[in-house]
Amino acid sequence: MRFPRSLLWLGNVLLALLWSAAGFAGSYDAPLPPQLASDPDLCAYAPCREVMPGADSFSLRKGRPGYVEAYRIRDEYEKAGRDGRKDQEDEHQEGEREEREHGELIGYVFLSTDIVDIPAYSGKPMVTLIGMDTRGIIRGVRVLKHSEPILLVGIPEAQLDRFIAQYIGKFAGAKVEIGTSLAGSGRIGLDAISGATVTVIAENQTIMRSAYAVARQVGIVKAVPRAAARFTALNDAPDWNAMVREGAIERLTVKPGDLGLPETGEPYIDMYFGYLNAPAIGRAMLGADGYARLMADLKADEHAIFIVANGLGSFKGSGFVRGGIYDRIQVLQEIDSFTFRDTDYLNLYRIEAAGAPSFRESGIFIIRNPAFSAAYPWHMVFLGNKMDRETRVKSFVNFEREYWLPARYLEGGRPAVSQPEPAWQAIWKAKQVEIAIFLLLLAATATVYGLRDHLVRRATHKDKRWVSWPKYAIWTASIGFVGFYTMAQPSITQVLTWFHALAFEWKWELFLSDPLIFIFWWFLLGTTLVWGRGLFCGWLCPYGSLSEIAFKLTRATPLRRFQFELPQRLHDKLKWTKYAVFAGLLAVSFWSMGAAEQLAEIEPFKTTFLVGVLNRSWPFALYFVALLVLSMFTERPFCKYLCPLGAGLAMPTTFRWFGLKRKAECTTCHACQAGCGPQAIADDGRIDPRECLLCLDCQILYYDDHGCPPLVQERKRRGKAGLPLTPIAGNGYYIPIKPVPADKPAQDDVT
Amino acid sequence: MSETHDLPTMLPHYAADNSRMAWIGREIWDHLWPWSRRGFGRHRFLLALSGGAATAVAVVWLLAAAGRIGPSVVIGWWVGWSVFEVLVRMESKPYIKEGPWWGRHYRRANLMDMICYVSFKNLLLGALLFLALHAVGVLDFLQRLPALDWLYR
Repeated sequence: MRFPRSLLWLGNVLLALLWSAAGFAGSYDAPLPPQLASDPDLCAYAPCREVMPGADSFSLRKGRPGYVEAYRIRDEYEKAGRDGRKDQEDEHQEGEREEREHGELIGYVFLSTDIVDIPAYSGKPMVTLIGMDTRGIIRGVRVLKHSEPILLVGIPEAQLDRFIAQYIGKFAGAKVEIGTSLAGSGRIGLDAISGATVTVIAENQTIMRSAYAVARQVGIVKAVPRAAARFTALNDAPDWNAMVREGAIERLTVKPGDLGLPETGEPYIDMYFGYLNAPAIGRAMLGADGYARLMADLKADEHAIFIVANGLGSFKGSGFVRGGIYDRIQVLQEIDSFTFRDTDYLNLYRIEAAGAPSFRESGIFIIRNPAFSAAYPWHMVFLGNKMDRETRVKSFVNFEREYWLPARYLEGGRPAVSQPEPAWQAIWKAKQVEIAIFLLLLAATATVYGLRDHLVRRATHKDKRWVSWPKYAIWTASIGFVGFYTMAQPSITQVLTWFHALAFEWKWELFLSDPLIFIFWWFLLGTTLVWGRGLFCGWLCPYGSLSEIAFKLTRATPLRRFQFELPQRLHDKLKWTKYAVFAGLLAVSFWSMGAAEQLAEIEPFKTTFLVGVLNRSWPFALYFVALLVLSMFTERPFCKYLCPLGAGLAMPTTFRWFGLKRKAECTTCHACQAGCGPQAIADDGRIDPRECLLCLDCQILYYDDHGCPPLVQERKRRGKAGLPLTPIAGNGYYIPIKPVPADKPAQDDVT
Repeated sequence: MSETHDLPTMLPHYAADNSRMAWIGREIWDHLWPWSRRGFGRHRFLLALSGGAATAVAVVWLLAAAGRIGPSVVIGWWVGWSVFEVLVRMESKPYIKEGPWWGRHYRRANLMDMICYVSFKNLLLGALLFLALHAVGVLDFLQRLPALDWLYR
């Protein structure tokens, strides 16, 4: 049957409509004013009123990390009357002054990027504005900017809005997690966005950590006290190098390139720091007298750390001159942050430890907070001001290094610390059942295909049950379980992410965050190199399975007469389209990953499994329907001509280890070629491994003595000659009959 | 019979080499050196030109791997060099291996075979080279060279 050219035109029109309709963006890569990150008047550049309903005015940025106070004007305040909480606030003199000037303090508004730097799936943070009232209850959340392509092209942004709306009414000190929480765990579970797990986990951390940090700072949430460190009575005086080796002194280096500055061969900042309260370290660094003087000055629950540095930059900066705050450094212990004022600073004139190099800048800083404990790990943070080379926009970047007093300085050694479980581990644990079922499915598929020689021998070209039934079962599991239930449909976007990770920065956490996709890709890589891409594309791809099932179901109906196959010559030209699509997407991705993700909508996978056709705008739905209808009448049109993932996998398939079996007669016989659904067999009988979907139809014919012409011929010849039909050997021919001498035993007649 | 046995093959001259080590050595050389005496070797000018191009792009790659040049140049180099290598190989070593990597079944490559071979090989080589240079500190050394700073975008 001739291929209707109008369908080609229809496809082109659909694609054009699709791209034009994919342009809506919401907060995706929304341009933000540069002042948003640094201007004291945050609310002049951010919609603060939206996240703090009822507020009439806002203060300038204050505190570290920064936030603004939200006020309700006095008239309304007086109308509303004072409440009990207000009486408590009036105890604070500063609060009274602010109130006189602005009205009633009703809450705080803060920008997440002022507080935390948590990359989401795109590797960039989601810039989020959060409003919280004076009781620590979150009153509003708004994502100002994100770079999550999945929310642009895969999932409606309304779902993101619904997700963040769940935070309204939550307490800043609550333990909020994604997914259902165990009863009695004290945690609050939130509904995730299907298909955007990494994004929502990152956003959850962004919102809750930001809210907690501000709540801690303004006194809503009290720090959980940690057991104080008790130091061992060591008499040795380690030298500088020994302390660096054992971790009593740690180093934090920032290169100019890290801040977007040209390299000069010298680091921007090369800091060494350590904890001075530990007697052995303090005496080694300051000498016995110096240490004694320092300890005499410190109160209980006060801690001294030293910082020395070389480099182009300064860890002191100049902020302390104007505002009395050292704005380049801070100490973090879990979620508690400790900053330093000029009153927390002491000069460090000389290092007594032998072997200490000279430094350009030095100082001792005092942590005056009982929440800090030297027995537990903490982080020294250097806050850099990074300038984007292209946009010239400056943003703050944190560089941090962990410090944990070596065990020998602590009585009883280091205490047990339960590190927060990485997000990817939590996801793997939560999906244990799905992972187990998925592994079984993969193992079953590999086993069935590994046994293909046995299966195809039992099947015939008229009865293919031995091959088709296991395949149908796998297709069903793939569509239902892998596609619709777990949404683990591999996609070209993952390949693009891999290329980017290879070229720029490899993060295992990024790939581990979706366990089924992670496992699937290892399986895919392994089986592609061993057998070719056909095992995935022909047996396991959820969309491919759906497409072929649609074709086979239609074949069982009267519509069968409308089914067609493209002429081989046209097919041989069109099959290159998918390689062009793959190359184009790869090239575009290095220009803009977001644009590549948009163009990757040529894959109907998101519409089919991830989002659902009913949840998508009409161009996507129309594209999906058109492909599905086309699939009913010609076998796997998307897989053959458009699939960029298939093209990407086809290229290494050139080097698969084990191909399919062929006979010498295959170069002239076209029996297999005529029945090859993927049209992968050339006129010379050669199977193109890149196009082959391993349907095994040709292998069934290979052993079928009622289907394979050379075997049929031989069967008939032997029948006429009265010769027995010997078993068919692995090379696809009857085992030859060799005459033996008459005196040989009968059982040796056939060899 | 496997599909590889009955199709016309074009063996490289070392395919029948009895010594396994010698054969492996020649295979490695084949992967790294696209030219042959039979092909571009006959055109000494082209040989010199392509040798110069290979040196230039290797330097570009080294600088790019050290973070001195942007990703667009890296991709441009990778694609450009791969296209060039495909053309050279189609003239000088127009065969690829069929079947297991440890086997000795070769066949004549068509253009798509060669594109797949060269792109896949160069991807692996680039990644391996990057890891090796990173491990021995060459990339860190280049990153700290002020004299190369002008190469920053």
